[in-house]
Amino acid sequence: MAKDQRGKTTTSPSKKTDTEKQTEDTTMVFESSDDEAPEEVTFDASRTEALRSMKQALDTARREKELLKEKRRKRQELFQEQKKIKLLSDDVLEEMDSASSKKQKQSEAAEEQRQDEGENGKKKKKKSRKMEHSRNLKGNYRVATVKVVGALASSQQQAAEDFIQSRLYGAGSCRTTNNELLSLQNKTGRNKGAAVQFVKKDWACKQKAKAEKLKKRWIHKQHIPSC
Amino acid sequence: MGEFKVHRVRFFEYMPSPIRAMAFNSRTDRLAVARGDGAVEIFNFADNYFQEKVIPGQDSRAVEALCWVGQRLFSAGLNGEITEYDLENLRPKYTVMAYGGPAWTLSMSTECFLCQVGCEDGTVKMFEILEERIQFQRNHDRQKGRIISLSWHPSGTHIAAGMMGMIRIFETETGSPANKEVVVWSVAFLSDHTVISGDSAGKVQVWDGFTGTLIKTHLITKWDVLALSDQSSLVAGTSEGTVTQFQFLPLIVGQQDKEWVRTRTFKNHSHDVRALAHTETAVVSGGMDTQLVVQPLLDRVEKNTQESALRKIAFPHRSLVCCAKKSGLLLFQFPEHLELWRLGESDGHGKPGDSLPVRKKPEKLIHLKRKGEDHICCSALSPCGGWLAYTTVSSVRLYRLQYNNNSISIKKLPKLPKELCSAHQLCFSSDSSKLFASSKHSSVIVVALGQSECKYLHTLKPKSGYGTTEQPVHLLFVSEDSKWLAAANTGCEIHIYNLNKLKLHCTVPVYSSCPTAIAIHPVTSNLVTVHANQQIFEYSLAQKEYTEWSRKLQKQGLHNLWLERDTPITHISFNPNNQAHIILHDMFMLCIIDQSLPLPDRKTLLYNQMTLRSVPESERLRHSHAFKICKNFQHLLCVSTLEDQALVVVERPLLDIMSQLPAPVRQKKFAT
Repeated sequence: MAKDQRGKTTTSPSKKTDTEKQTEDTTMVFESSDDEAPEEVTFDASRTEALRSMKQALDTARREKELLKEKRRKRQELFQEQKKIKLLSDDVLEEMDSASSKKQKQSEAAEEQRQDEGENGKKKKKKSRKMEHSRNLKGNYRVATVKVVGALASSQQQAAEDFIQSRLYGAGSCRTTNNELLSLQNKTGRNKGAAVQFVKKDWACKQKAKAEKLKKRWIHKQHIPSC
Repeated sequence: MGEFKVHRVRFFEYMPSPIRAMAFNSRTDRLAVARGDGAVEIFNFADNYFQEKVIPGQDSRAVEALCWVGQRLFSAGLNGEITEYDLENLRPKYTVMAYGGPAWTLSMSTECFLCQVGCEDGTVKMFEILEERIQFQRNHDRQKGRIISLSWHPSGTHIAAGMMGMIRIFETETGSPANKEVVVWSVAFLSDHTVISGDSAGKVQVWDGFTGTLIKTHLITKWDVLALSDQSSLVAGTSEGTVTQFQFLPLIVGQQDKEWVRTRTFKNHSHDVRALAHTETAVVSGGMDTQLVVQPLLDRVEKNTQESALRKIAFPHRSLVCCAKKSGLLLFQFPEHLELWRLGESDGHGKPGDSLPVRKKPEKLIHLKRKGEDHICCSALSPCGGWLAYTTVSSVRLYRLQYNNNSISIKKLPKLPKELCSAHQLCFSSDSSKLFASSKHSSVIVVALGQSECKYLHTLKPKSGYGTTEQPVHLLFVSEDSKWLAAANTGCEIHIYNLNKLKLHCTVPVYSSCPTAIAIHPVTSNLVTVHANQQIFEYSLAQKEYTEWSRKLQKQGLHNLWLERDTPITHISFNPNNQAHIILHDMFMLCIIDQSLPLPDRKTLLYNQMTLRSVPESERLRHSHAFKICKNFQHLLCVSTLEDQALVVVERPLLDIMSQLPAPVRQKKFAT
């Protein structure tokens, strides 16, 4: 902190100036002889000095931080631009390639969708019609009107439905299963019965399927010599 | 009496949708019910609770509130839209965006033709109800939380809004000191400025609307109170499945001081009750267990009459199964897809009551997903199995099916005649050469089916000038010889068309109750109709008058037990080997009416199959009567006959439905 002045407090009248300056401070002691007195640094001065240097330190720290931030931001921007440039160049390449590659991608996607839709049913059902309202422009481009789904509205709707779900079925809602409810009814009803789903039906389904196949094969084998 | 091989089908995994909201229109005695998948159903409470109309749902339409304004029906949903429904064409008339995020609640004031919508963003938006549309008027001050429930004061000057943790009355301010975030699921604003709220803490609280102070708290459940309805009394529905009634009575008889006293509790549901409505004599409740329950209040009806019986409506009052008679195929209609199955086969022979071994298991041939957002309204399969069609509110789709050995191919017909744009009912002729589709104003469009194409032939129109031809057609039947077509609409009219001449043949005299099933006998060409009040008529199409048997039945009257059944007949079929048989079914029983046997009178035992079996065979004929009822199969969705003297019985036990519902609340009982 401030420089400590060695000396004692005296009440000699020669130190009038000092006593004048001794206003509120009782903590600091500063006194020097008349001759060859070193610089008089009052407490206030040294305090202000100290505060200033503190502020300076803080300022420099802040500035450094800001500088760092700036640097980081600039670097990020640079990366983004580079990325964009990269993408753009890909786009350009794509366009330059040919319209056929784009169409190929679309037909592939359509194929995928068709395959996706043939999930449960054994055979194919309906054809997917991708890009219903689309037109060809100069061969290389395809313009398609996208149905205005309102992504914001659907996300809000989902949030609202999640709210109901969480309030009624979420944590702390004290729910049980239908199986338990029905089993309790069986237990306490007039005609008492076993729990519902007493037997686990989905137990060992792979083994059961294998056994079924073997049975069919054996039956088939048995029939061949007879016919 | 012929013997039947019965195909007992339990692989139709029908799941009804939970009930989300309801509104009762006391002037027309109609109840509108909104389901979780967006479908809206209209029940006619004056006609034996018949499910008159069904407007199919849509993917994004999650209805949270329903309201009647006169004869008009409005709904608000989580997609932020307010929809008005066209009840004559069974589709939404228009939708208006509320622009406040998801809409949680709707409240109408019929005096000032205003409608309030409580939104996610905390605003209560006011709309003016005009003749052909509704128009946005203004917003109320925006609140901090979402508005979950709204209620108008009957005078229309104040609104109570229930939000997260508090109730706010517009025009005055009030708040409730809630420590945790309690959701005020519903509010009711009474004419004496009392506000009643039901919240997620299980309390029904009575507030003074002027000062905002709490008068009384009733803790009725550990779980949430989800719905309130106030009219003659106050009822609250809870997550436990109970409905608690409160009445404004003096605590001590004779005194003047009245307060809201808890009177009765009904436990009619196994899962949460989400919607309630009052009729003059009953409380109607519906919820996650998908059943609509009408509980008559015994202080308003006479005890031990049919009116005072509890009613549960679980299945739809129309057929979701189509059976192709000649090819043994079944088409199941789900809201979002169709399934085509081939019936199993069995060689065995046995005695009545035996279970035959299955040689070939039933197999699912096609799983067809509907295209677009709209749900399927109606579907049909041709008797030979070669054609499949379904409709939504916006389109009709027709598919050609081809079977080669073990494989099946399905091809959509791309171009349909423009007259075939939307239909409520579909029907194929028995030789699969024509498709009939009902359209606007009770007209029927006839389309010819070629090898892989279809051509518009004709539109059959009823005589205009009748008051109710605006109502939609809900039943369509073609006779087996393709000579007659019968179309019934919800205005209780049945029109008969001559298909050879392609014009209206006659209109059956209008009966006051709506027909629930119609069919034309393949041999005698008599039209058999069954109505919502369980009456049966037989009408001769050639002579244009009721048949002798029908007159005899009306004169004698149907048996009491028959008339007291509470589920309607949804399908009529005939026995190919015995032309005196009419096969009917409702949810709980299958009945074969033998027209050659005498009719039972009031004193006869109606369900006499068991007793007949115990009597020796020579004596049986003396004791038999025409109604042969079998209750072996439950719960029935469809009963149909195949060409090879077999019956197909599609069952969907309610237990199977219940085991797939969402979770119920856990009730800790002693010794469990």
